Amino acid sequence: MKGKIILTLALFSSLSFCGEQFSMSDADRALYEEMKENNPADIMLADGEELFEDIGGEKALAKFLGVSEDDLPSYIAGFPRYVKKIGLVVGLDQVLQAMMYDKGKKPFKLKSKKMFNMVAYVKSIANDEKINIDVNADPYIKAMYKLGKKVFMTKRGGRGLSCNSCHSPSVVGLVLRTQKLPDLGSNGAKSAATWPAYRMTKSSLRTFQRRFQGCMKNALLKVIPIGSKQMVALEVYLTEQAKGSKIEIPGLKR
Amino acid sequence: MERREFFKTVGAVAAVSAVLPTVSFAKSGNPNKMDYKTAISAVTNGKQPKMSDKVKLKVPEIAENGAVVPVTVIVDSPMTPQNYVKSIHIFSTKNSNARCLDTNLSPANGKAMVATRIKLNGTQEVIAVVELSNGEFLMNKKSIKVTIGGCG
Amino acid sequence: MEARKSLIKIKPKRYKNGDIVKVSFMIMHPMYTGASKDKKTKKIIPAKYINSLKFIYNGKEITNMKVWESVSTNPVFTIYMKINGKGKLTVKYTDNTGESGERSKKIKPKG
Repeated sequence: MKGKIILTLALFSSLSFCGEQFSMSDADRALYEEMKENNPADIMLADGEELFEDIGGEKALAKFLGVSEDDLPSYIAGFPRYVKKIGLVVGLDQVLQAMMYDKGKKPFKLKSKKMFNMVAYVKSIANDEKINIDVNADPYIKAMYKLGKKVFMTKRGGRGLSCNSCHSPSVVGLVLRTQKLPDLGSNGAKSAATWPAYRMTKSSLRTFQRRFQGCMKNALLKVIPIGSKQMVALEVYLTEQAKGSKIEIPGLKR
Repeated sequence: MERREFFKTVGAVAAVSAVLPTVSFAKSGNPNKMDYKTAISAVTNGKQPKMSDKVKLKVPEIAENGAVVPVTVIVDSPMTPQNYVKSIHIFSTKNSNARCLDTNLSPANGKAMVATRIKLNGTQEVIAVVELSNGEFLMNKKSIKVTIGGCG
Repeated sequence: MEARKSLIKIKPKRYKNGDIVKVSFMIMHPMYTGASKDKKTKKIIPAKYINSLKFIYNGKEITNMKVWESVSTNPVFTIYMKINGKGKLTVKYTDNTGESGERSKKIKPKG
């Protein structure tokens, strides 16, 4: 136990040290911001659009979800949510799997490129909408929010870290290797609005849950599968923090 | 072949390289290996380009990753048939092949600019060399700190 | 082989004759330098990178590029172009292994 505390402290002291050494200037950040104009993921979304049209597109999705096509963008902006037809709180990717299944097609795996492309396109239908998740809408999502908070706060793995250890309000201003650590634990944390995103260091499009996996792996936490109850719950929790943020898909991240 | 000729005949060059076998650099060494001084000299025919504020080089001071570093070169030029920027060359000082991108422009561009994203193998300088239609060479350079990635 | 996915973007989306617009060409290409290893097999991945680009507007080459392996994976190239009548812009590419392809976009000036 004591060992873990020391390790955690060591991690943070090195973080703040890096902050003094290698913090990017605002001008640099503006340059990276400008790169969003030409996001390589735009091509991947174009592919996702074709795949989505193959299973009926917006019309079919609206029908599946029981909403009008006009209401589809704002409805998408409320995911993850409880979907009656599936009987679970699910992400958009799982809805697309169910649609594929209904069509008699073999659903794409949740962790496949095709699914990432398609779900990114589908979420981009809600671009400029504000995230409107309602974690009090029904007992199912209420329970998922609670579980998500637990997943976020639970310390585990080799270093005894939780998501909260590095992504709470108390890390604001700290920098890990030129990166400002995002505070994901407070209201107004916008991350959920900019995933799926193109990861420059991975040269690929990644979803929010895929990003959680990368973070877990590097922080020595056992990686939770995409689409599992815990993972969807974590997305619910972080999406609630981003409530009201404007959706801008695809994001562009380091 | 003269270097300048070389750039004028990009199409022909592409056809030649098409018949070269695929090579792995680690075994045979990088066939494109060239240090930045040699590379610049090849472009300018040995002339020393003049440092100039007319060449604006937009790069981050600190790159958040070495895999995708944004580079933009803008040159003050009227881009008329009488007075235009013929080419913009981007070099890195420490990559094994210093050459990154050679762009031949024409008055039809309207403005002299090229932007791309490059890989940088560690902290180094990026140099932009510009050839004007009157045969003059200008340059500018910036140093970029490249840090390795953090988590994930 | 399935055609490589690529995209031409013009900014702003609405333009008229005489306007100078930003043209970006993006393409899904690995841009292997020949120095990196496959994480799984530990084998060196042979060099495969785009080595030439041509921007052709209504049959006239306005810009060409010689591209080297230090350009990033899934590259993006941006230049300016003066709008001078309707027609099309074509970007042709080749890579060092002899692969080639092209992408076109209609140029429709308003007014």
